[in-house]
Parts: sequence; structure tokens; C-alpha cells
Amino acid sequence: MTEGDLLQRIAQTLKQDIGPAVDAEYPKTQAFMAGVVLHKLGQQLALAPQHQRDQAAELAALIVELNDMLQTIEVPAELRRTLAEFAQRRDQVTLCSLIEALYGTRAALDAVIFARLLGRIRETLRADINRRVVYAS
Amino acid sequence: MNKTTDDTAALEPRIHDYLKHRLPQANDLELRDVQRIAVGWSHETWLFDLHYSEEGRPKHLGLCLRRDPGNALLRHLSDLEQQFRVLKCLEQTPLPTPKPYWFEHDVAILDAPFLVMEKVPGACPSPWGREGRAFYAAAATRGQLPASFTATLATLHTLDWRAAGLDFLGVPAPGTDFVRREIAKWRELIALSTPKPEPILTDLICWLEDNMPATERVTLVHGAYRTGNLLIHGDRISAVLDWELQVLGDPMYDVAYVLSDLNREGTPLLSNLVERDAFFRTYEAATGFVIDEARCRYYNALYAMRSVAFWMSASGLYASGRSNDIRLARTAWSVPVVLERAARDLGY
Repeated sequence: MTEGDLLQRIAQTLKQDIGPAVDAEYPKTQAFMAGVVLHKLGQQLALAPQHQRDQAAELAALIVELNDMLQTIEVPAELRRTLAEFAQRRDQVTLCSLIEALYGTRAALDAVIFARLLGRIRETLRADINRRVVYAS
Repeated sequence: MNKTTDDTAALEPRIHDYLKHRLPQANDLELRDVQRIAVGWSHETWLFDLHYSEEGRPKHLGLCLRRDPGNALLRHLSDLEQQFRVLKCLEQTPLPTPKPYWFEHDVAILDAPFLVMEKVPGACPSPWGREGRAFYAAAATRGQLPASFTATLATLHTLDWRAAGLDFLGVPAPGTDFVRREIAKWRELIALSTPKPEPILTDLICWLEDNMPATERVTLVHGAYRTGNLLIHGDRISAVLDWELQVLGDPMYDVAYVLSDLNREGTPLLSNLVERDAFFRTYEAATGFVIDEARCRYYNALYAMRSVAFWMSASGLYASGRSNDIRLARTAWSVPVVLERAARDLGY
């Protein structure tokens, strides 16, 4: 049994056996809610390996495409620096910094270029959030 | 962790002693029908009836006591003292609100600061439950409650907040100051919850900062005007409750909240109650304001940021051990749900 499956089992026990056996309203709600939390956590854990692989592939593709886009155009140094940092670390912190740098340098960018760069980043953000809502909603 | 006790029975004699002190002329004081309501994320609330005699005549006072548990969601943004002050100011206005009686800082009295206000007649059905939805659906067909909902919002937006003394809430400067302040407020709450980085949230905040509308007029704004935060009696709004998010600013901020599909469950009725066209017609006629739908869409995006701030703060309370309410832990999964919605609002 995986950790995810184990959490799902405990969640089921809390919702079907423990919660209904509790009389008082507050602890009953707590037991039920603990089941909900463990259920979500179980799903999240079970999907994590695949989600991590998908996310890594998408971040790699994003970096390649953003670098391609920036090769032929003049952009502020700050934007190039944050992209280089993101390309190196490939994490959410540097992706946030890249988004901030893009908005921060917007005035210096052609409107079409800004929209293309942001649109490409948003494509990656959409793919990520689609995966997360599978277990969150 | 929650510093106060949930034991209503243990609290009753202390409330009794406090009221005896507050009403020295009252004899034979008795608390009846003491009910703890909203075992919730915000302030603890008790409702009860106070019976006593004065100069031989029997008297009765319906009271509501709200106590700060020390870990309430948003407590650093709106404490009970501010709520008390707002209610005091609103007492002189045509807006239906509970009459505030006393506020106490002294933790020796009931272990935590608390306020005592009038128990206004009425009920507050939850719009999220089956019974509440059925209640609002039935009320919508009768017509009086939807009209009262809209008229009360119009009263809120047209009351003279300066004359009421509400300028202590902070008067925004002309232009984008109101929106700037709201963004800063929710940014601060997000930062306090030591969140993990969320690129969609970063995109959302940057977009909000890039597109700030100028405020055309400043009114009192409730901040969470919807069914569930309004007391209803005889198909009328008998009191506007939940004075925790109020601000002086753009009335469209409240209108956007009313228009939002966040506040209705599988019905086209705004706030589960009001037909959209009727709301526009009645609100615009009563206020003289024109509803600016583009601005409302902007505020809807701002509400997404606010929701993320709420849920990050709530789950952070549990994660940090300041609350042991598992419902707060659950809200960590509300963050991606709101972000998904925000991404759609931003067009992706």
C-alpha cells in the first residue's frame, strides 16, 4: 500500500466510521474535515510523481521557448537576468521573479512582445493549475 | 492555540456578573436561552436573553456577545474594538445594524476582549446549505426580500459617512489610492502567512497593479455584502452584520461582490436572491450611480486576490499551531481552486 492509499483508507475510516460515531457537533465536524484533508492529501501524494515529471518537462520547454523569443529582440537587462536565473533554478520562486520582471519592464517592451512572452508563461501556469485542481477541488 | 474556553456553561455566571456590574439598577438578573453560535473562524458569538426587574417592573433585553478568541481569521485587520466603533457610528444612520452597548478590553472579565450588542430579531440562513438555498429561492419569488436586499445596499452606499464619523476608517485620496490600499492590505496578509510562491498569484497581483481604476466617488463599503451576512426578519433585512472588512472606497467594490457568481449556488439569482436586471434597476434608481461592469470585473479579480489571502492566512493559522480547527487546514486546497478561477478571469 502506498502512502497515498493509506491516507485514503484513513480518510474513509474517519468519514464513515469515526465521524458518525461522534455526537457533539464540533468534534463530529472536525472528524469529517480530517477525512476530507487526508483524502485530498492522499490524492495529491498519489499524483505527485507524475505531476512533478510533467511540470519539469513544461518548465524546460518554457525556458527554451522564452530564450528563443528573446534571441532576436532587444529587451531590458533585468528581464534577461531573471530569465537566466529561472533557467538555472527552474523553480516557482524564480518563475514569480520572472513574471514580476516582465510586468516591471513592460514600458520598455513592445506591446506585442509583452503579450507573447506573458502568453507563453501563462500557458505553463495553466497546465500546472489544471493538474492541481484535480485534487484540490 | 485558542486561549479562550468553549465552555458556555462556565462562562454564563461571568457574563451574569459583568451585566450586573453594567446594570447596577437591575435586580434579579437572569440569562435565558444562552446559545453559542458560529463555532467559527472569526469571533466567538453567544446570543441570550437578559431578564431582570427595575423598580419592580420586569424588563427584557436580547443581547449578543462577541469575544475575540485570540486567533480569529483577519483579527489583525479588524478587531472587535473597531467593529464596536463602526456600529456606534452607524447607530445614527438609517442603515439597520445592531445597537452596540459595551466593549471591554479587560481580559480579566471573560478571558479576552469582547463586545456586547443588541440581539436583533431575525435569522441568517446560510446560503451554502440546502435549507438556506430553499429559503432564499422561496423569498425570491415573493419579492420583498430581494427589494430589501438592494435597498439596504443603496442605503449603505448613500449614507453620510463623514457625518457618521466613519472617516477614522481612512479616507482614500482621489485616483487609485483606494485600490492601491486594498492591494497592499491583501499583500500584507499574504506575506504574514509565509506562503509558498504562487506564480498565478504573482501574475494576478501584477495585473491588478497594472490596471488600477480610479475611484470616482467614496462611500462606505461593507466588503462582504451578501446573504449569510444579513439578518432577515419578515422578508426584510433587519440588520447588516459582519462588520469586519468595511472600508471607505468605491461602492462598485460591493456591487462586484453582489454580481459575483462566487456568492450563488447554481442559480442565476445574485446572492441566491435577486434577479440581475431588477438589482441593476433598483440599485441605480436608489443611488443615482451607474453600475460600471468593467470596474466590477476588475474588483472581481481583486476578490480573487483577497480570497487567496484569506485561505493562505487560514491554513497558516492551523499550520503554525495558532488554531486547532481542522477546517482551517482544509483551506490550503482552496488556494489552487481560487487561482484557477483567477487565471480564467485573466483570460487563460
